[in-house]
Amino acid sequence: MSKQPYQMIDFLLEIGFEEFPPRFLKPAAEELTAKIENLLKEKKIFYRSIRTIYTPRRMGTLVLGLSRRQKPQIVEIQGPPKKFAYDAKGKPTDKLLGFMKAKKLKPSEIVSKRTKRGDYAYGRKEITGASTENILHSNIPRIIKSLEFPKTMVWNEKKARFPRPIRWIVALLDKKPLRFDYADVQANRYSWPNQHFSFKPIRLEKPREYINFLRHGGVVVDPNERKKIILTRLKQSVAKSKGKPVYSDAMIEEINCTTEYPEVVIGEFNPQYMKLPEEILMTVLRAHGNVIWIKDTNEFVYVFSAKKKALQNVQAGYSRVMEARLQDALFFYQNDTKTGLQSMQEQTKGMMWLKDLGTLHDKAVRLRDFAEVVKWLPSAENKALKRAALLCKADLLSEMVREKEFTSLQGIMGGYYAKASGESEQVAKTISEHYQPRFVGDTLPKTLVGACLSIMDKLDNVVGAFLSGNRPSGSYDPLAVRRNGYAVVRLLDDRTLDISLFRAIDKVLELYKKKFDISVLTEFFIERMTRYLQDKGYRYDEINAVLATWQGNVADARMRCEALKDFRDKPEFVKLVIGQKRVRNILKGVKKIAVINEELVKEPAEKDLLKVKARVGPNLAVMIDNKSYTEVLKLLLEMRSAIDKFFDDVLVMCKEVKLRDNRLALVNSISALFMQFADFSQIVIEGGKTQE
Amino acid sequence: MKKFYTFENVIINLKQYWQKRGCLIFEPYNSEVGAGTFNPATFLRILDRKPWNVCYLEISKRPRDGRYAQNPLRFQQFYQCQVIMKPAPSDIQQIYLESLECLGVKLKEHEVRFVEDDWESPTLGAWGLGWEVWLDGLEVTQFTYFQQAGGVDLQIIPVEITYGLERMTMILQDVSSVFDVKWNNTLTWGDVYRQNEVEYSKYNFESAPPDLLLSLFNSYEDEAKRLLEEGLVYPGYDHAIKCSHIFNLLEARGTISISERAKYIGRVRALANQAAELYLRKNDEQATLPDD
Repeated sequence: MSKQPYQMIDFLLEIGFEEFPPRFLKPAAEELTAKIENLLKEKKIFYRSIRTIYTPRRMGTLVLGLSRRQKPQIVEIQGPPKKFAYDAKGKPTDKLLGFMKAKKLKPSEIVSKRTKRGDYAYGRKEITGASTENILHSNIPRIIKSLEFPKTMVWNEKKARFPRPIRWIVALLDKKPLRFDYADVQANRYSWPNQHFSFKPIRLEKPREYINFLRHGGVVVDPNERKKIILTRLKQSVAKSKGKPVYSDAMIEEINCTTEYPEVVIGEFNPQYMKLPEEILMTVLRAHGNVIWIKDTNEFVYVFSAKKKALQNVQAGYSRVMEARLQDALFFYQNDTKTGLQSMQEQTKGMMWLKDLGTLHDKAVRLRDFAEVVKWLPSAENKALKRAALLCKADLLSEMVREKEFTSLQGIMGGYYAKASGESEQVAKTISEHYQPRFVGDTLPKTLVGACLSIMDKLDNVVGAFLSGNRPSGSYDPLAVRRNGYAVVRLLDDRTLDISLFRAIDKVLELYKKKFDISVLTEFFIERMTRYLQDKGYRYDEINAVLATWQGNVADARMRCEALKDFRDKPEFVKLVIGQKRVRNILKGVKKIAVINEELVKEPAEKDLLKVKARVGPNLAVMIDNKSYTEVLKLLLEMRSAIDKFFDDVLVMCKEVKLRDNRLALVNSISALFMQFADFSQIVIEGGKTQE
Repeated sequence: MKKFYTFENVIINLKQYWQKRGCLIFEPYNSEVGAGTFNPATFLRILDRKPWNVCYLEISKRPRDGRYAQNPLRFQQFYQCQVIMKPAPSDIQQIYLESLECLGVKLKEHEVRFVEDDWESPTLGAWGLGWEVWLDGLEVTQFTYFQQAGGVDLQIIPVEITYGLERMTMILQDVSSVFDVKWNNTLTWGDVYRQNEVEYSKYNFESAPPDLLLSLFNSYEDEAKRLLEEGLVYPGYDHAIKCSHIFNLLEARGTISISERAKYIGRVRALANQAAELYLRKNDEQATLPDD
């Protein structure tokens, strides 16, 4: 009998389907491989290498150098204590024999083992591992079923769910297909080629043939190899061009997920369309998947997935399509310019914005009225802000932005149309950038006026969402209120605007003429603020300390966090915090604070503290006004020794009520000084004692 | 030598191809529709559990897409070849690709791309998952596995394949403008339809009277409701289709704001849903009737 338990074999799983949504593909393929890898590890099946495979029509996992069986396992079973297991002569007792019989153990499998509770007899045996085939066979269908997708469908009576219909499955363990049925598909050894190459299945004798056989069938199965091919071909093809192709990593990844066999072609459009605004050109070209514009030229690159022989037809076809699309864009653009922004603005009166909250025109008027209170802007800029506020939603009525393909150009088109309608450069620019940041990590408006309008618009969105019952909760946030709120915070900080967010919310509510519990909104912004400050790298306790006394000024809170963070490394910091914790502790549960009666201040330590307070108080106010927060912290620290002395020498909670109330009032006034900066009791001191 | 395909031959070839694949050859609907999906041969027939394979030409009207005969690829009325196969065969994608070869598209010399596009008709309460099919970059087909219609989960999943015949023929004839498509050996698409395009663009965008359209919409809606309540599926649904077309005209005319738009769509959908439910109910009744 020649048993070769460690002989290496290979395994291929390929799930074939109709063209997969590109954005689901990579995560799904990676999830599949990870799950198979976990299975092998968990079941102790050795393998040499594992790789993920995906193209738009397949995903899978190729495992090379797999052992035929699970690694044998050593199992130990505790038996009776050694002293009961053997008699005086060292022979097994009935107790041990009974144990062996029950556990089916041979004498050679009995060992002795020392444990905490003494020596014990143990059964110890090697269990031959299950075959890899059985393990894969019984687990692969379960793994396929467990894959998760954002959106799925059904396609036959089996009602299995997957993003697109599964049409074939290759499950080949060395030379043998694993037979199982999934969604009415019988797993086998047949894969399918690129449809431009052939309609005949590819028979695989063993997994190692897979990559090359498929390549002959017009499929580069390895995504990394495909990506390299795309980038190389792209570079080669534009070598002679005058411009540079504009693309991002995300675009290349998307192209990778939509091609099985990348080929590259350069197309052209009529140079007359170069006069269209650059954003329109980019949007038109990019909307047509796998097309990359070569900037400053009338050329583009297209990555296709067919035979090289198709090149001429593809080139002609794409050039034709781009031409027609650009012509369409030009048609909209010219019509809109003819209509004019002013007339679109009139039309916003008939355009509902949010249910029960009036029209787009109402929103624009609200924004303009909001702009009235932004008095700190120079008057010319304030005028531009008001004008832009009134016009900023008009382009939503333009033919261009109403077209699905160009919705993403909202604002940008408004800017162009404003200029065309004779508005000032500043008004146009403000309209153009007022949606920024459009997404997390997007750039902010370049001008101050643009930033102001963006803040106002987003605040109006947030408040409007709460008023119309679209408050976010869990994953429910249909109006992207959280993103809007975060952007407001980011913009206010970026421009270090000296504005209270809370007062601004009050103003927006007033403009809506609606009653609403403002604390709900305050709480919402404190959450956004916390998130923002965390992203800036501040510790949660620093953030809590600052936000506990926050008045709504974003940049100010960030500066306080910064001062705290800097001060944190200094040795005095711990003392400062402990001092403040003592103060807060003693005040806990005190309901009524009296007014300090100086005549009742008798003890020297008391008098000292009062003196220090009188000196520090006015200075502190000035420094806080100047936002010299490092100085503030130094000043507060000066009170430290007086506070310590006071607590050491004076009994605050004395029996005499009048005296006690007066001392509590003194302590409270000290606390109030600290609270002008932050609530220090929120700071967590690690490693050291934080109590008195 | 390259074989030459006229517009009319493309239509004839496709019908023959799908006839061989077991489809009933049907004809277009007799009132304005925005897509072949509105035809009762699709919308109602996909609802029940009985097999249904059909192929027909549909003249689809999209008032908003008119361009006064100025754009080579956009026009307000176009021909679709609509195929429904219920249940969807498991090799349907290949059957479709072979239909392209039958039209003269050699797959080795072109690129056919299936671009993710989940189709939805809010007016019909219908949606499905699938693709736009691009032939050398030009969208020539919509390929959809329906999941729901008339607000009802479909018991048997049908596939809907809708060819845009003008675009398809443009590629076959290698012309850049629809107006140059040869209908037969003597006349072009432009000869047949140019004036129609110009005049309908004018009607759709400028001349259609909003007040009349609004009142027609209301009347058709009332009539659809009355008929459906009376238990008449086909006449009732017919009036729902009329509402849908009127709504498209109103939209092209620019008289409907975004919020109103949703309301109008909701009104048509309510009628379509009602028709779907009625159809299924009558279907069940028929199925349970004892044989004579």
